[in-house]
Amino acid sequence: MTAETIIQSLASGLLMGLLYGLIAAGLALIFGLMDVVNFAHGEFLMIAMYATFFLFAFFAIDPLLAAPLVAAALFVFGAVVYLLVVRFAMRAKANAGMVQIFSTFGLAIVMRGLAQFFFTPDYRSVTNSWVGGKTISIAGIYLPEPQLIGAMLSIAAFVALYFFINRTDFGRALEATREDAGAVALVGIDKNRVFALGWGLGAALVGLAGAIMAIFFYIYPDVGASFALIAYVTVALGGFGSVFGAFAGGIIVGLVEATTAMILPPSLKSVGIYAVYLLVVFVRPRGLFGSL
Amino acid sequence: MDTHFAQRRRRDLIVAACLAAVAALVPLFVKDVYVQNIMVLTLMYAALSQSWNILSGYCGQISLGHALYFGLGAYTTALLFTKFGVLPWFGMLAGGAISAVIAMALGYPCFRLRGHYFVIATIVIAEIALLLIQNWDWAGAALGIDIPVRGDSWLKFQFARSKLPYFYFALALACIAWLVTWWLEDSKWGYWWRAVKDNPDAAESLGVVVFYSKMGAAAVSAFLVAVGGSFYAQFVSYIDPESVMGFQFSLLMALPAVLGGIGTLWGPVLGAVILIPLTELTRSFVGGSGRGVDLIVYGALIVAISLALPKGLVSVFGMLSGRKEAAR
Amino acid sequence: MTISRRNVLLGATAAAALGPMAARAQTSEVAIGVIYPLSGSSAAIGVDAQHAFNTAADIINKNHDFALPLAKGEGLSGLGGAKVKLVFADHQADPQKGRAETERLITQEKVCAVVGTYQSAVAVTVSQTCERYGVPFISADNSSPSLHRRGLKYYFRASPHDEMFSAAMFDFFDALKKKGQKIETLALFHEDTIFGTDSANAQTKLAAERGYKIVADIKYRANSPSLTAEVQQLKAANADVLMPSSYTTDAILLVKTMAELGYKPKNIMAQDAGFSEKATYDAVGDKLEGVISRGSFSLDLAQKRPMVGLINEMYRAKSGKDFNDYTSRQFMGLIIMADAVNRAKSTDGDKIREALVATDMPGDVTIMPWRRVKFDEMGQNNFADPVLLQYTAKNFVTIFPEQAAVSEAIWPMNS
Repeated sequence: MTAETIIQSLASGLLMGLLYGLIAAGLALIFGLMDVVNFAHGEFLMIAMYATFFLFAFFAIDPLLAAPLVAAALFVFGAVVYLLVVRFAMRAKANAGMVQIFSTFGLAIVMRGLAQFFFTPDYRSVTNSWVGGKTISIAGIYLPEPQLIGAMLSIAAFVALYFFINRTDFGRALEATREDAGAVALVGIDKNRVFALGWGLGAALVGLAGAIMAIFFYIYPDVGASFALIAYVTVALGGFGSVFGAFAGGIIVGLVEATTAMILPPSLKSVGIYAVYLLVVFVRPRGLFGSL
Repeated sequence: MDTHFAQRRRRDLIVAACLAAVAALVPLFVKDVYVQNIMVLTLMYAALSQSWNILSGYCGQISLGHALYFGLGAYTTALLFTKFGVLPWFGMLAGGAISAVIAMALGYPCFRLRGHYFVIATIVIAEIALLLIQNWDWAGAALGIDIPVRGDSWLKFQFARSKLPYFYFALALACIAWLVTWWLEDSKWGYWWRAVKDNPDAAESLGVVVFYSKMGAAAVSAFLVAVGGSFYAQFVSYIDPESVMGFQFSLLMALPAVLGGIGTLWGPVLGAVILIPLTELTRSFVGGSGRGVDLIVYGALIVAISLALPKGLVSVFGMLSGRKEAAR
Repeated sequence: MTISRRNVLLGATAAAALGPMAARAQTSEVAIGVIYPLSGSSAAIGVDAQHAFNTAADIINKNHDFALPLAKGEGLSGLGGAKVKLVFADHQADPQKGRAETERLITQEKVCAVVGTYQSAVAVTVSQTCERYGVPFISADNSSPSLHRRGLKYYFRASPHDEMFSAAMFDFFDALKKKGQKIETLALFHEDTIFGTDSANAQTKLAAERGYKIVADIKYRANSPSLTAEVQQLKAANADVLMPSSYTTDAILLVKTMAELGYKPKNIMAQDAGFSEKATYDAVGDKLEGVISRGSFSLDLAQKRPMVGLINEMYRAKSGKDFNDYTSRQFMGLIIMADAVNRAKSTDGDKIREALVATDMPGDVTIMPWRRVKFDEMGQNNFADPVLLQYTAKNFVTIFPEQAAVSEAIWPMNS
């Protein structure tokens, strides 16, 4: 194994890791806000990828231009899902954790079924987009443009999220609602409105990820399943409740995956990710930066 | 002791005995193998879900990785039989014992984890095991293990056509899982678990003993699920990693309990009796359109029941008979 | 010894169980079970298969002027013109469900034969169940070589298995080498389920026998979110031929990732699956110019045998697609089974089995490039010659073996 292969592996792993971070950011935000894990997160990604595909196929809108549109659409979708499903799941007096897991999980199955019903189980791809298939080569190291853009978007999203949560009124309202929903009601903040906006924002983030992913990944009803588990592990590794943790978690997952594939047969590369997760939580039961 | 509670327990036992007796007579009237097959699966999932419920329901440690123990049971039995000629009855016990030991070994570090950290740990551990078996050539890797069926034999627990032996085994397993749960409810473990659930502060004072009781619950739960896995290997007579250790099995085991009523004695049975025939019949008679309608129905049902009845379907029955959970 | 005893036993029980069914032989319909994944992640395959089987049933049941068994005249003449009725069942790619549905087909729907299954893992339990009930099973499109080696009496496969497919690839390499091409090193790239594993095992064995060096053997997890690490190892190895065994999703991602990492394989010799699916070529066809895939069907056979084109038209009217490697084999599976039922003049499992054993169909009355259909003692047809197809100018052309080839191979593909 040459130095070049190792550098290339790590560079690719880093790009992929930042993308995992972007995919997981919405999950981390939603969890941080209301302690709910959205088990339909992978299906949100799938919907975003289909939205990008159809905007491209029917209106010839390039995925890069479509990204804000898809994010906006997912924002609405996320808020609606909160109002129609999650709101009721949070009201459960008994078995709250179980109800959240299985209501969002049931939702995931419904979304897959609907995708198969309306979009057919065929495999779709976005062909001939602006940056699709383009790649930058620096000293023999190849950096594909879609992943580079995804990585930059990921960094930008996390910076924006940091400022949003810590420096804006709405961000503070989110934080306050999380800490004491009863008290904020007294000062006139509607809990459901705040949570719906939080879900919208989380979904919008995965919408961005989906638009970028659509450039270089195939699209079909079950595509979310490949990413869902990685997204959960990413968030849990970084620590639930910490948005920065999801960012760090994504990078670690990407690098560990690339490194494992160099050492073990590639079919076992996920084992590296899972093992690192277990090691981390056995030492730090709340993940690397978790507050919960 | 609370007499109301004791009364209820006696009544539960009588009801269970009657139900088991009725169930045992059903195959005398239902001769159709397709229907018998659904009954076997229903009983098997009732047993699996009941076992899962011990750890995840009563003990509150939500595991979405029980496919690990199911697969271990199936693989231990199948490997011992095909490689060493060990009869499945011994393989069943061996698989159960191995699973119980592994469950305790994993429980030791995992029980310190809470909430979603624990759930994700159970998922990834099962995934690791799946990947390892899928890459383990001696165990058949992805090709799986084909258990040769050479005519009917109780010794080898294989029957070419008859479903009855499988039916009675599954019924026995479901009864055992139910009895274990029934017994645990009234044991000191059961009291600790309830105490911890009702009052998290009590967990602190009970700390160490509760920890060991959880280890015990994990072992019992894993043992029974592994026996279920062994049974499945004999019943299908072919196993491969995805079909016995895939994530979907962890969910399929949890669903009857969740829908029927998690942490209740009757929830898993009720859930399995409704869910399994429903999924089998929709596949046979509605599915096949290739349009995902069965998925939509199935998923919507899960959403609706978990939202409308967070305590599961048993809560409906509880309301009908006007029975409050006074004993709790 | 044990086998013969079992056979006697099975024969006896089968005859007993099928007694009532034989009595029904005079009815005007013959039910044949067809078991495929009709929901779940491989539903697309099952839906295409339904169209292929319906096309075959249509040809059998109505009068058509094709040189295909049973095409002329309506229904099965051996059974007084009885029509073939297909009963579809959904196995959702699960071996247990495959077993249960087969039982349902046999005991409730009273099918006299079963055809299936796409997934090899499901074929294991479906064929086992058929064996137990003494009902013949044709494995239409399963390519796992282990399937016919399990000593089953009622198992038949008319199409080639992975070892035959892979042997064709190596025959082709040998032929090229004789012409002076340099082919020394191979890179295997295969997914980790039964298909990829079987394919890689066959290729590894053949490479050793024929003196090719495997410089990279990459087993990857099916439906991985990324194949970057895998492609880097392929790139570092830079073998003379890259031999992928991948389903559609991974095939698309593989080709895209290779382009992104600046790797242009010298040649690609694919084990079908993803590399014969339209979706792959829609997505990355521009990067696959010159790729070679094995197959058991080629539409350019229509030039020599016009009925192939006409039957393809019938199929396209139903499905909107051309026959591909899978759908053509599914079509033939039903034709061969119905032909046996017709000659058996009975719906009795043992009689159909005897007719299948006696099958000897010349290749030119099929839609395949096969020499003939004749089963060996394990139920495998060894005369089903695979073909190699090359993708050039948005079309597949047959390039091997010579008697079926319509054009010369472009080698190396990236020249």
